[in-house]
Amino acid sequence: MLLIHERNGRYTCQRGLLAVFVYVFVSTRVLNYLKFRLHIFHVKQFFHGYFRIHILFTSLLGLLLLSGCNLNSRMSTFKARGPVAEAQLDLFYITLWVVVGLFIAVGGVLLIAVIKFREKKGDTSPLPSHGHGNPLVEIGLIGGSVLLLVVIAVPTLRAIWFTHDLPIQPESELKAWYPGDDVAEGEESNILTVNVIGYQWWWAFEYPQLGITTANELIIPAGKAVKLNLRSVDVIHSFWLPQIAGKVDLIPGRANYMWIQAGDTFEKWAEKNVPEGSEAGQKLAYENYLEDEIHDYYYGQCAEFCGESHARMLFRASVVGDDEFGAWVSDIKTGNQAPEGMSWKDWYANYDKSPEVLTGDVHEGLKLFMGRAKCATCHAVNGNPRALGVAGPNLTHLARRYSLAAGWLNHRTEDGAVDIEQQYKNFVKWIDKTEEVKPGNLMWKANGGGIGELIDAEGELSLLTEEEVHKISIYLQTLK
Amino acid sequence: MSSTITETHTTIEHGQPHVLKPERSNLGLMRPDHSKSVIVDWLTTVDHKKIGIMYGALALFFFIVGGIEALIIRAQLFVPENTLISAQTYNQMFTMHGTTMIFLAVMPLSSAFFNFLVPLQIGARDVAFPRLNTFSLWTFVAGAIILNVSWLFQAAHALGWFTPGGSAAGMTDMVPAGGWFGYAPLNAAEFTGIGTDFWVLGLQVLGVASLAASMNFIVTIINMRAPGMKMMRMPVFTWMTLITSFLIIFAFPAITIALAELMFDRNFGTNFFRVSEGGQPILWQHLFWVFGHPEVYILILPAMGIVSEILPAFSKKPLFGYSIVVFSGAVIGFLGFAVWSHHMFTTGLGKVATAAFSLLTMAIAVPTGVKIFNWIGTLWGGRVRFTAPMIFSLGFVWMFMMGGFSGIMHSSAPADAQQQDSYFVIAHFHYVLIGGSVLALIAGIYFWLPKVFGKMWVGKLNNWVALVIVIGLNVTFFPMHFLGLIGMPRRTHTYLSGFGWDTYNMICTIGAFTLAFGILLFLIDIYRCVKKGEPAGNDPWDARTLEWQTSSPVKVYNFAKTPIITARDALWEHKYGAENRKITYEKEDGHGIHMPSQSWFPLIASSGFIFVGIGMTMRHAGVAYMGYVAIFGLLVLGLGIALWALEGPGGYHLHPKEDAES
Amino acid sequence: MSDTASASHDEHHNLIVDNKKLLMWLFLGSDCMFFGTLISTHLIYRKLYPEAYDPLTVFSLELTSFSTFILLMSSFLMALAVSAMHKGQIKSFRRNVIGVIFFGLIFLACQVYEFAHFVHEGLTLSTTTFGSTFFVMTGTHGVHVAIGIFWLICMYFYSHTGKMDVHESAVDVEVAGLYWHFVDIVWIIIFTAVYLIEYI
Repeated sequence: MLLIHERNGRYTCQRGLLAVFVYVFVSTRVLNYLKFRLHIFHVKQFFHGYFRIHILFTSLLGLLLLSGCNLNSRMSTFKARGPVAEAQLDLFYITLWVVVGLFIAVGGVLLIAVIKFREKKGDTSPLPSHGHGNPLVEIGLIGGSVLLLVVIAVPTLRAIWFTHDLPIQPESELKAWYPGDDVAEGEESNILTVNVIGYQWWWAFEYPQLGITTANELIIPAGKAVKLNLRSVDVIHSFWLPQIAGKVDLIPGRANYMWIQAGDTFEKWAEKNVPEGSEAGQKLAYENYLEDEIHDYYYGQCAEFCGESHARMLFRASVVGDDEFGAWVSDIKTGNQAPEGMSWKDWYANYDKSPEVLTGDVHEGLKLFMGRAKCATCHAVNGNPRALGVAGPNLTHLARRYSLAAGWLNHRTEDGAVDIEQQYKNFVKWIDKTEEVKPGNLMWKANGGGIGELIDAEGELSLLTEEEVHKISIYLQTLK
Repeated sequence: MSSTITETHTTIEHGQPHVLKPERSNLGLMRPDHSKSVIVDWLTTVDHKKIGIMYGALALFFFIVGGIEALIIRAQLFVPENTLISAQTYNQMFTMHGTTMIFLAVMPLSSAFFNFLVPLQIGARDVAFPRLNTFSLWTFVAGAIILNVSWLFQAAHALGWFTPGGSAAGMTDMVPAGGWFGYAPLNAAEFTGIGTDFWVLGLQVLGVASLAASMNFIVTIINMRAPGMKMMRMPVFTWMTLITSFLIIFAFPAITIALAELMFDRNFGTNFFRVSEGGQPILWQHLFWVFGHPEVYILILPAMGIVSEILPAFSKKPLFGYSIVVFSGAVIGFLGFAVWSHHMFTTGLGKVATAAFSLLTMAIAVPTGVKIFNWIGTLWGGRVRFTAPMIFSLGFVWMFMMGGFSGIMHSSAPADAQQQDSYFVIAHFHYVLIGGSVLALIAGIYFWLPKVFGKMWVGKLNNWVALVIVIGLNVTFFPMHFLGLIGMPRRTHTYLSGFGWDTYNMICTIGAFTLAFGILLFLIDIYRCVKKGEPAGNDPWDARTLEWQTSSPVKVYNFAKTPIITARDALWEHKYGAENRKITYEKEDGHGIHMPSQSWFPLIASSGFIFVGIGMTMRHAGVAYMGYVAIFGLLVLGLGIALWALEGPGGYHLHPKEDAES
Repeated sequence: MSDTASASHDEHHNLIVDNKKLLMWLFLGSDCMFFGTLISTHLIYRKLYPEAYDPLTVFSLELTSFSTFILLMSSFLMALAVSAMHKGQIKSFRRNVIGVIFFGLIFLACQVYEFAHFVHEGLTLSTTTFGSTFFVMTGTHGVHVAIGIFWLICMYFYSHTGKMDVHESAVDVEVAGLYWHFVDIVWIIIFTAVYLIEYI
């Protein structure tokens, strides 16, 4: 809508700006020429007033053309890909048209008044009449305003109820779509529920019905309603995934929740698209719609100021198909193996008795992970029986994630793969320069427990060396 | 405690005030009246005009401070992942920018107008309680000092001279960094350092100043009007002052309590907002916004009052629908208390509360719209003169309208779920605050500065000021609507590339510097006026209200003889109206004009607050004996007030020349 | 505090209510919001967490009823003091003011004793939300009472200096009376909403 250029946004933006400047330059030259060169003095008045309006108009046009600058970006609310975001976007457009109409109407009258009744030089006519007011006009205008507000109010109320109440959708119940058989007792008739827990400055995503936990990158199925329980352990955060839903805050001590859904249900989609053909064909078309338009990697961010690194508390949501979701859940449960296909039992047998046997960057990295760098104190890696930390994000299958440090360091290619090289660099940066990447975070400094506080035998500060950071990074890259 | 019978003074005939000698107060101390020292004169003044000038000068100073903070913010956001300032410094910048602009710039600038104009507009000699007025001013200064001294502590910390201990050990933020509304639990001692203490105490002290001033103005407006100045004959600006003052006295207690509860949580171990003991962080939000929403009307109503004076003056027509404009101001004030939770739409209020606040917020658009219609109605059929005040007032109507429109868009809670806490909100409130309040206040300065200093504006720089400011405002904040809609959250120190935010941010930064340049031009214009302006005369604009009958600058006693009013737009009727609508004057009773005496005690009492503020903060930082410093401050305050009461109001008489009408 | 420019000379000024009285009414209006917020906070937290603390283990209805009665009586004496001043009877005024001060001090003493007892029994500022809201609210009230007592003491001594003109000072005494009555009414509300309500 409204001058959205879906092509390369920045390019269009720059062209738009250039167009504005050219237009202003040319038109002012033309008007000047008409005014002075052709000596059209007697219409000086005409030009004087209209000249000013002209500047006004062109600047407004310029601003409007700015809207051609990329409105289709990663977190754009204009690209609503779920019923909640759609309802909210619809309301945005209703209010937008109402206020644009008001702006033109009221602004227009203001402009006319200012031009029509401006003082002319040498005007000796008597002073204007003492108009003190006109109750009829007032009441009419008040009535008109109220009417416009009703136009906004009615859909607002509807949308408040819609976006708030959990939808009753049999197809979203776990038993209807979840491919696994490990749903918790009594939860089969419920929709998928994720506990979103906010920390300074990362996100934990727990799936209590499925018995798993992950961090910073949420995985949800397409076309199904999902309930999010929003909790915080420290300060207020806010979960904002713009293309799926407007934000709701995570307030400590308060049981906020919201429902989200990526993509429409089959019924809703059919309503919108009116497909033809057999039921199976329709279902196929629906699946294609989900795959083409909804399966994607979405961007989100914390939207309530939560302290020093609030700006760096991003998150991601991968919307996937049911099977992929089921596979992911079972992968998380299985967790990560010890390096080189060893069993954890064997690995720890070596680690305890003869760690020097475990050579190579990967083993060395894991040894540091469990030992000097104390990663396991705060982080858990499913499968690893001694990495059970809960203070920090769960790192199971960390290397599959497309970002680190809560979405701040990214390594996703255009076509949705992990950029291995960039990933390595990000790991190094995150471990080596933690405080720089995320000032104030607990991984670096936590009353003696952070990697920025590592000490040697004499109690002197002894941070991880470049070699050590390299090895840990190599190890972490194996957490696929 | 007070009495008027002690003021038997020697007064010299025929207005030669320099011969008057200061006298002793009831306490036996010399009153600082008729001081030869300019500094003593201004420090102890009780003259509403001088107080107004001081408020104005301080407000402009802090406007510059807040503006610099804004420029630093915008410079940091010029490009993605910029490292101009650290995250902590950035958080301090936006916190201080908001707090400074609201409490130290716009509110005091409005106060400057209240102080200078209200007694003149109602035909009074001063406010009801002149020393209380002085107290408000110096308390405001104390609050400003408490807030900004934090920068010194941060600098000291950076230099290694100061490290907080006690409950604030390990925290490195000395300057407030919790945002201007400092949500719990981020404002708790566990998450922020002494910066929050400076913020709490600074705001608390500023609240005292505002409350005292508001009570003073309500009593003044209700009780001190000249004979014949009925309520419905008062200028609209005075009405807006009255409504704003009521808003202050009913809204500030909420934040006073919130701040007090927070102070107790941080310093005395209470659990108002401590989740582990059952405290509810959302209580802070409710209390803050019960104050916070009326606060924004406190910021805009005076501006609307100013514009309601200027538009009629330069349309040569009375205000269209005076009664409705006054009434809608009152309705806005009243409804302003009913909509606070629209700042909390994303906190999970529940459907019913969300719906209620959504509808009430929409409702408040109606009286606001009424005012805009009436302003346009004033222009319609008039004779519009494009003087400096008029240009800014017209700019106000246009820009405030745009801000109001984005406000209507926010009122729909589901739409707001996307807009809240994003740059869309920032666009909205800057349009209403800069495009609204600031433009109107600038218009007011253009209008009334000739009255204050007696000098007229020089040249046509004001046209450039207007153009650059309006362009700067729009270039900075219009793109922010889009920024918000494409997902950029607010209060972010930096952002990643690739989200489509880069170009917009760049444009906004350029706009910000343009806006700053416009303000610079404005300050230059003020300087030129005050230094080189031609004498303005009593009524350089051919205006409508009573203050324009006085001399420029206004004599210390305002009116030589108390005017008797017979109509609204008293001066206009006097100049151009029927015979029976002219202003007449009360007969003199021979005693001369009674003037209130000046006093040191309001200043002394206010200074106590500085000790309280810094004492409590340093106590939190573990510095020894600081609790006693705070108690000392309270004692200074108490003693100051007691002596103030005991010294008696004093007073002296002036006999101005008979032929001077003003 | 200070008199106005020409309030006493000029009958034309429409003093609906005397300046100082109006100021006090406005201050009390603001103070209403102040106490209203504190009391609401207390009640909200009581409703949210009724089991957070059981105040009946420490409350002594007898003591608090007694102190409430004392405060009510002090208000009565204050009314008498105001009336005395209106009639110009300085001696009667002084007697009644001493009475108010005395009763006010007894009230404060009861509060101090009560609080000391609570703290001894383990109810402090930090005891869940109950202790926080209770002490801050009643403490704020106590500070208001103390300020009132200080004010009245000053007024008592001032009445001995001979500078107190009966007609002018009637307003000042009335203003002090307004403040004192307000403080009393707030206590009645606190007593009801905080103490009595626990016994229902």
